[in-house]
Amino acid sequence: MLTKEQCYEQLLLGKTVKSESWLSPIRDKAGTRAQALNFPTAKQDDWRFTDLSPLFQHGFHPVDSYASVTLADIASLLIPGSIRLVFVDGCYASQLSDLEQAGAGVTVASLVEHSGDAQVEANFAQHALFDQDTFAALNTRFFEDGAFVHVTGETATPIHILNIATKRDTSSAIYPRCLVVMAANGRATVIEDYAGLNDGINFSNAVTEVVLNDDAQLQHVRVQREDKSAFHIGHCSVDAARGSVYTSTALAFGARVSRHDLHVTLRGEGAKVTLNGLALIGGRQIADTHTRIDHATPRCISHQLHKCIADGSAHAIFSGKIMVREGASGTDSAQSSRNLLLSGKAHIDTQPQLEIFNDDVSCKHGATIGQIDADALFFLKSRGLTEERARNLLTHAFAAEIIDMIPVPSLVESLGRTILERMNGNSAGGVSK
Amino acid sequence: MSTALQNLVNQPYKHGFVTDIETEAVAKGLNEDVIRMISKKKEEPEWLLEFRLNAYRHWLTMEEPEWANVSYPKIDFQEIIYFAQPKPKKKLASMDEVDPELRRTFEKLGVPLHEQKLMTGVAVDVIFDSVSVTTTYKAKLAEIGIIFCSFSEAVHDHPELVKQYLGSVVPSGDNFYAALNSAVFTDGSFCFIPKGTKCPMDLSTYFRINTEGSGQFERTLIIAEEGSSVCYLEGCTAPQFDTNQLHAAVVELVALDNADIKYSTVQNWYAGDENGKGGIYNFVTKRGLCKGVNSKISWTQVETGSAITWKYPSCVLLGDNSTGEFYSVALTNHMQQADTGTKMIHVGKNTRSKIISKGISAGRSSNSYRGLVKVGSRATGARNYSQCDSMLLGDRCAASTFPTIDVQNTTATIEHEASTSKIGEDQMFFFAQRGIGSEEAISMIINGFCKDVFVHLPMEFAVEATKLLGLKLEGSVG
Amino acid sequence: MINKGSKVLLEVKNLRAEVAGVEILKGVDLTVRAGEVHAIMGINGSGKSTFSKVLTGHPDYTVTGGSAMFEGKDLFSLAPEERARAGMFLAFQYPVEIPGVSNSALLRLAYNTLQTERGLEELDPLEFDDLIQEKIKVVEMDPSFLGRSVNEGFSGGEKKRNEILQMAVLEPKLAILDETDSGLDIDALRIVAKGVNTLLTSDNAVVMVTHYQRLLNYIVPDYVHVMDAGRIVRTGGKELALELEARGYDWLRAAA
Repeated sequence: MLTKEQCYEQLLLGKTVKSESWLSPIRDKAGTRAQALNFPTAKQDDWRFTDLSPLFQHGFHPVDSYASVTLADIASLLIPGSIRLVFVDGCYASQLSDLEQAGAGVTVASLVEHSGDAQVEANFAQHALFDQDTFAALNTRFFEDGAFVHVTGETATPIHILNIATKRDTSSAIYPRCLVVMAANGRATVIEDYAGLNDGINFSNAVTEVVLNDDAQLQHVRVQREDKSAFHIGHCSVDAARGSVYTSTALAFGARVSRHDLHVTLRGEGAKVTLNGLALIGGRQIADTHTRIDHATPRCISHQLHKCIADGSAHAIFSGKIMVREGASGTDSAQSSRNLLLSGKAHIDTQPQLEIFNDDVSCKHGATIGQIDADALFFLKSRGLTEERARNLLTHAFAAEIIDMIPVPSLVESLGRTILERMNGNSAGGVSK
Repeated sequence: MSTALQNLVNQPYKHGFVTDIETEAVAKGLNEDVIRMISKKKEEPEWLLEFRLNAYRHWLTMEEPEWANVSYPKIDFQEIIYFAQPKPKKKLASMDEVDPELRRTFEKLGVPLHEQKLMTGVAVDVIFDSVSVTTTYKAKLAEIGIIFCSFSEAVHDHPELVKQYLGSVVPSGDNFYAALNSAVFTDGSFCFIPKGTKCPMDLSTYFRINTEGSGQFERTLIIAEEGSSVCYLEGCTAPQFDTNQLHAAVVELVALDNADIKYSTVQNWYAGDENGKGGIYNFVTKRGLCKGVNSKISWTQVETGSAITWKYPSCVLLGDNSTGEFYSVALTNHMQQADTGTKMIHVGKNTRSKIISKGISAGRSSNSYRGLVKVGSRATGARNYSQCDSMLLGDRCAASTFPTIDVQNTTATIEHEASTSKIGEDQMFFFAQRGIGSEEAISMIINGFCKDVFVHLPMEFAVEATKLLGLKLEGSVG
Repeated sequence: MINKGSKVLLEVKNLRAEVAGVEILKGVDLTVRAGEVHAIMGINGSGKSTFSKVLTGHPDYTVTGGSAMFEGKDLFSLAPEERARAGMFLAFQYPVEIPGVSNSALLRLAYNTLQTERGLEELDPLEFDDLIQEKIKVVEMDPSFLGRSVNEGFSGGEKKRNEILQMAVLEPKLAILDETDSGLDIDALRIVAKGVNTLLTSDNAVVMVTHYQRLLNYIVPDYVHVMDAGRIVRTGGKELALELEARGYDWLRAAA
């Protein structure tokens, strides 16, 4: 078992990846910042609810060889008919990927292979800043490869970016990276998917950057279904230009400890953002979601609905900040945090926050924490359902409101099954006991 | 509309005069000797000196909090005068012996010290700088067993009660300013309502900081025994000085089985000038313990003054079926900063809490609501409802809402709502079309915005609060 | 009731006004004498609602030409609240909600402001309550509405009745009813009309701005004006409204 300092030292011993001439200095700078920073502590307001101590007990090593994974291994994770980019332990797996569906106006590729692309150079590390962010600094320094999506046209085919973590002899530090650039008027659906094979104790430290140019529209789905012993820390920065529409549906089911930071900057007038989120956890899981919506320009709209469901002795955290800057008149913002506690040992913290520097706004937020509605439960039992089935049905309905917002029907269906499995697992004693 | 608004919110501070009265003060600065001297001057028992010194030693190890949404230059705690009192300090046999200059001061503030002239049915304890100058209706209350006196008197006359409850709700090391207060507090009010007694009149303390450079560190302790009830009011003013003054009070409330405490504050400390020069730093720790079953503690506050306000009147709901309430109006203008809210800690079964917070920001001020609703794992059936509304007047002010909800019990029901609004053009035209001028219209709209809080204030305070917000309309309150 | 000898309350000449740089009123003339009931009709966008807002001083509208005298005073030199105190009343098309401000508090403040203006004693809450209990009967409202916040949670019909209650309390010399009939069911329409008729005397006047003829069955106008493209294009008696109901507006527009 390691100390926190030893764990951090081990991470700093990551592998140096050879890069393009423009990228090397960025990696060096990120490395310097990573040296200077450390794991965040509970004293930092953004981290005060998140107990990272289970993470510190492990040493995470760089990935030094390719794992052998076949399509059969990941069959249950695939989305039929999608454009698929697969990464295994952070390395691009071309043999598992399927880019055939990518037509004109859609580039889906390995970031390293496209590091000469002007769009990559112009946007990489420009949105997910690492100066004060330990995890972004580590990722930028050590990422092996990542996904690059550039949409100049309109595509109805979902783009599935599947990140697989495998089980190895030693625990791995994995650095998934993703850059999505939506050109003016571009339209697409991107699914970022994090999953594990065979219960490895890995640490995935993911960074995603999303850029929407004028009037672009992106449906961004994020599924975190890592192994139950894994650790997942993900950061996503979104930059929305004039008239663009960004819709995110982010789900957290897996990992021993997970964290998702989602920062959206409404940089252009009339941009619209919708954030839907769901954390469904049990056992001893911790799932933390931190979002920030920054209304930097006039007449932008933001809507957010986040749900947490905690069973076992799990701990779910939501902190959502809406900022309205001085010039951002005509802002319309609504945020809602809805939470369901399923067990007497589970624990939910929610912190919806408004920071407003303009009087010409309409902002509201709401939060509730409750239990399964007793009347509904009674009704179902009176129709012959067992207590357990009735509870599962109602919990499923609570979660389904978010999952149903995913614009990919086959994924909605398979995730629906996942939830049912999880819930049955939970009531049988928890996901990760 | 903006001119009317400005006229309304920029009314000059009416309590900014200084009373020319001879004051005895110790040299500025803080060390163990100063604490020993304060304790000696007040002829305190040894255990109280120990309490102070322990708090002081703990304070030395603590860091000044920085998490609140406020910014100010670092306070030099060695530049503060920790004890100042009007001379001469001798026991007053009656109200008429109060220094005439002092009496005039309070009459000017609307707090007459003659019992005949008092607000009917309100007993008043008056705190000038660090010490209590007089307490009215004391004898009458004593007849039914109610103790209402200055904290110093309570230490001498009822040491067993003080010893039992002092620090029992806010431990001396609770936070930086509470520790400082525990080390250097000079006076304050003490109330004890015996078993089964409904206090027949409202009890009130009026605080006034007069000496430049002095801090005010008062301590209030209210104990309501089984089945008793009391309504307590607190008012505050200070003269205008260019320097910032520190007010770091601690208020502890204890409600035993079936007891009911209602604590109301109208805080109008000097807020500094329009450029943010001077004003009081109001860093206060207020906490109530609902110790007994079915007990109830209700905080109502109208915060209009102070350069910086940092206070979170809280309730620890220990007794089963106990209730905590928090009703707040915070108005900030110019460069004022307010970071205020409450903590409701649900420990007992079927505990209830309710939070209504109304923030109004004008000028370049910043107004934040910060709250915590915590439901412990044993608090079966706990319920909370919170509503936090902000109104922004002008486009250079800020309003923030930082609620935290932390629940560890599946049977809890928690609801939080917040909204932000401004005064609509169409509302203003409607008032104008009914012949009502813009100043009155704004008053009325703000008054309406705050109504859910004002209805919880006692009548006298509701009137004062209405006036304080520049509201002229009678009758729409209460 | 037309009495050619009665006092002129309102005299509008060649009134022009714009909103956000777009000219809406393009030379309106209208004279209203004490005791008269006028109806201004027209299609949506003809400028009739703008006319009522310009007369009462809504800040969104800019007067660009012409004049309006109210009892000999230049209306446009008066602030909106001064026009109200002089005796002009607008029943809003879309009554606003004022959270937390009770109906009775608003009415008493408005009433007492007028009393002061007229050099009369203000009423204390008890005296005012006696007055309001009488007035509320005019619009058949439940007294519980007095304690509720202005228009908050009111139905469309209740809001319109509340406007007429304010008119009853303030007793204006000239009341402008802006589409007061819109969104009203037949019972509410009858109550509103009865209220207005009760308040009519030989000393005051009413201008109804409406799209439909049906309100005029209940409040019978002395004059009907048809507004089109920012001008009054036809003036007649109550029979003009019936003709409009039968033939629509197009024949008039073509004629204009």
